[in-house]
Order: sequence, then structure tokens, then C-alpha cells
Amino acid sequence: MDLGRRIASQLDQATFERIAPLALANAELNRPRIRRSILDLTGTTVGEGDAALVIAAGPSLHRRRSLERLKSSRFGGAVVAVDGALGACLRQGVVPDLVVSVDPHGERIVRWFGDPALTAPSADDYFRRQEMDPAHARDEVTANRELLDLVNRHGPRLAVAIATSAAPAVVDRCETAGMALHWWNPMYDDHDAPDSLSRRLHASNGLPCLNGGGNVGTAAWVIAHAVLGKRRVGIVGMDLSYAPGTPYARTQYYPELKALLGDRYAEAFVHIDNPHVNETWFCDPAYYWFRDVFLEMAREANCRTYNCTEGGILFGPGVEVTPLERFLEESA
Amino acid sequence: MKQYLRGNYTLDVTIEEPAEDAPDATEAFERKALSRLGGSICFVSKKGFLWKGDGANGSGAADRQPA
Repeated sequence: MDLGRRIASQLDQATFERIAPLALANAELNRPRIRRSILDLTGTTVGEGDAALVIAAGPSLHRRRSLERLKSSRFGGAVVAVDGALGACLRQGVVPDLVVSVDPHGERIVRWFGDPALTAPSADDYFRRQEMDPAHARDEVTANRELLDLVNRHGPRLAVAIATSAAPAVVDRCETAGMALHWWNPMYDDHDAPDSLSRRLHASNGLPCLNGGGNVGTAAWVIAHAVLGKRRVGIVGMDLSYAPGTPYARTQYYPELKALLGDRYAEAFVHIDNPHVNETWFCDPAYYWFRDVFLEMAREANCRTYNCTEGGILFGPGVEVTPLERFLEESA
Repeated sequence: MKQYLRGNYTLDVTIEEPAEDAPDATEAFERKALSRLGGSICFVSKKGFLWKGDGANGSGAADRQPA
């Protein structure tokens, strides 16, 4: 097994060890602010019919102009967007029915909602390097200012499925913009195990625990079928990988891999041929783990999953690869 | 092992310590990589998608005041 796949195979436990302390500390800080459970959405109508479209923030969202095509369709189902795709959605006039946020990072995630504190380019080059929203990579200060205005304007119409792990800065920003927050706990471990953290967290705040699958895109897909009850769930922008030709230096974990591996950093990337688009995409170990986990979860899901990303590495049993228009027409 | 075994003879060759006694660079790297990489939320295999608690509705009563 090559290095990238070997690391990926151990990332479930590694994610727990890296994320849990900060996520649980945030949960404690957020506890007095919790007013609504995500389960309050279960009995309500979020989008028409039994279809939902999950909008993730991978490069195909822009390469394939997925949002423009969605906007010009008659799709009336639920639109569930990850936080990293919110800016792109609003700029294209797509107002999601639900935005999902989970990452506990203390400074970065608030940027997806417009960071009121940002007045100059950040020392952290994450948003200039990431592939999720090119607007921030081009001119992060201007992009942030425009996003602040957009989110402020649409905030009172937006609902957020927010994990208790979210940073208080994100909660502040969402509340200030007038968004309705619907809370849930990430599932951290086996809730049937002795001394389960998930069980203790549930006991402390009463919220359900949602199995998030490693990333916010998969969490959004889980919410679409397990909470909203949608039986046909389409996905766009879920590449879980980088497009052909993307420089390694423009990938999410490049600084970490470079620091750890030196000149051997390229060995950590995994290249995968996508026969549906006849392209070779590549991913780092984290994305490869996300893909494995998603395919495992898709086999167990009580819905049909249609990957309309038109790129990336997410294909296999349990995931039907289909053009976006076909999914939208069949769901209209 | 040299500190435990001593002979009353002299060898013509130099015996090197077995390789497995030395720290494995790849393993060390992987341990470091695992501490820096990973997702933003956990995954728990074979535990379903949503756990609402034992017999509870998961709507969030607990010890807080609903809106």
C-alpha cells in the first residue's frame, strides 16, 4: 500500500484525537446559546418533494458552472449547502434552504460567512491557497467585504444546521446576521461504549448526535436524508480531490505535507482515474479517507445518492453518477 | 545486546545491531502526519447516521431552556 492510502486508513482515530478537544470545548461554550435542535426541521417542509441537492465546495462547482445550471432549472427540492459554498451560492442568486457548518477551527470558518474582523490580508494563507472559493484566493479582503454584505442581506432568510463543535466566532456571526440556528452534536465515538463522549455530550445538551463522515459535505448529505427525510439526494461540488493540473502548493494540506516529508511530499498524494469524465484527479490522504467513508455510508443510506459533480473521485457502489440536468429534471 | 553478552574471543568482523531495533523513519513520519491531517468531524463506523439517545426524541430538552 502506498504512503497516501496507508495514512488515510488511520485517519478515523487521528481525526478524533485532533478534533475532539477543541470541538468539545466549543460545545461547552455554545451550550447556553442553544435554542433549537436540528430535529425541529424533521416535521417541517424544507424544499418540495422528496429530493435534495447538496452543494459542496469542490472545484467542479466552478469548473462545471453547477450553480448557474441549478439557478436556470425548475428544481424545487431542498438546497443544502456547506458553509464553504455559501458565498458562491449567494453570488449566483442561489439562496440555500439550509447551510451546514461543523469545523471547530477558531479563526478560519467564520470567513465563509464574512469575517467582520478582517480588514487586511491575513497572515494565514489558507484562503489564498484553498480551492473551495476562488473569490477569496483572488482578493480576500474585497471578497470578504462583499460576502459580509451578501450574508447580512440574506441572513434573516437563512437557516443553519450548526454543530455544537462550531467556533463561537461562527455562532456570533450567524446570530448577528439574523440566521436561524438549528443545533446538533457530531458523533465522536460509539455511543454504546462505556464512557462514550457522544453519550455524555448528548446527556449535557439533549441534542442528537450525527455521524458526520469526516467532512462538512458528507455531514450535509447525512442531514439531507437522515434529518430532512429526502429519498433522492443529488450532490454537486463534491470532488474530494483536486482537478488535473492543480499545483500541489495549492492544495489544502500542502504546508503540512511539505513540512513533514520535505521533497518527498508528492508521495502522499493519491491519483485516481475517473472513467466518467476521462480525467485523472488527485487527492491527499484526508480526501481519500473522506471518499472511503462516503462509499461505506452510501451503501447503508435510506436514499438514492446521485453524484452530479461531474468530476472528482466519488464514484462506486451506492453512488449513481449522473449529469446535473438529468437529476434536476427528474426531481422537478 | 553488547552490554549483556561478552566473549573471551575477538571477531574479525564488525557485527551491526539488527535493523528492527532502530526507529523506523516511515512509521515516525506517519505518526507525525496523522497528528496534522484528518477531517473536521469524526466518523464512527457501523453506528448509523443519527443517534437521538436512548428512548429520547433528541429534540434538545436536557438542562437548557428552549426558545
